Amino acid sequence: MVENRQLVYLYCVADKEPKINGGNNLYSICHNGLYAVASRVEQLEFGEDGLKKKMADFEWVKTKASLHERIIERVMSGTNVIPFKFATLFNTDNSLKAMLEQYGQEFKAILRKLVNKQEWGLKIYCNPEKLKTSFSNDEAEILKIENEIKFSSVGKSYFLKKKKDELIEKTLNERINECGQESFELLKELSFEAHINRLLPREVTEREDEMVLNSAFLVHKDEVGDFHNMVDTLKMHYEGKGFLIDCTGPWPPYNFCGLSSGKGQNE
Amino acid sequence: MNNVIVKSKEVTLLEILDRVLDKGVVISGDMVISVADVDLIYLGLKVLLSSVETIEKLRGSPFVGPMQEAR
Repeated sequence: MVENRQLVYLYCVADKEPKINGGNNLYSICHNGLYAVASRVEQLEFGEDGLKKKMADFEWVKTKASLHERIIERVMSGTNVIPFKFATLFNTDNSLKAMLEQYGQEFKAILRKLVNKQEWGLKIYCNPEKLKTSFSNDEAEILKIENEIKFSSVGKSYFLKKKKDELIEKTLNERINECGQESFELLKELSFEAHINRLLPREVTEREDEMVLNSAFLVHKDEVGDFHNMVDTLKMHYEGKGFLIDCTGPWPPYNFCGLSSGKGQNE
Repeated sequence: MNNVIVKSKEVTLLEILDRVLDKGVVISGDMVISVADVDLIYLGLKVLLSSVETIEKLRGSPFVGPMQEAR
């Protein structure tokens, strides 16, 4: 018979005693002024073999990932937190404590940095057809070629049309870059730190529009108002021109807790 | 501060997975599951994160200048 041991699942490390009411088998371990929020999980579920099987079950992943997020958010409401990646597991409380001992100073430095700050996410999506329509009527070069096509022979207009399509593609890419770069730079100025993350393809986003910017910002609480005013300004400028700007938060600072060893984040 | 947006209750699953599965602190040490394993399963889930090639294909050209420092 396979023994079903229990493992220790770590959600986050906090700088104050977290308010947890024991739901979801949560408990906290205090070590040198840091509080680790963890729960016991079954090895059958979270052990190496079990987890591999479970990760293929989308409903399971959905439930457990959402739970992971909810637990950290609850802790976050009362204290600063360092969120850990999904399924960070230890064999025993003692091995978790040993990790706290090893990384204690770094965790404390990160938590000091996070005081009074929030993580906000900004994703920009683009509908290329809508964007093309929005600029095709005011790009002088495109209008010029269109005009030439009207007065050209069949043969010549074929090449002109090709040239026009190339110009449209080029302008499309320029406009996408402009929107992404401008939005990122302007919001970065209002942030303590900023990150650009990998774009997610349409199979993942399940949207018709392409993601053109996936970014995260660590914003001081006093600047959050200005940050949102800037998001609104960008929305006013870009939405309606084929872009959709999606701002979410405040999130646990998943993107801003990198350890100096370079192993803190999976980028 | 009266403009602060309260987090929508309907933050999509995508937003959660994009962070919980991909970000957050990764500690190597006494762990039962190595990070690489989880990443492989993650790929198996079709939650494929796009590669640099995809980004370039999408944009025609990658961002230049300060945009690159975060990658």
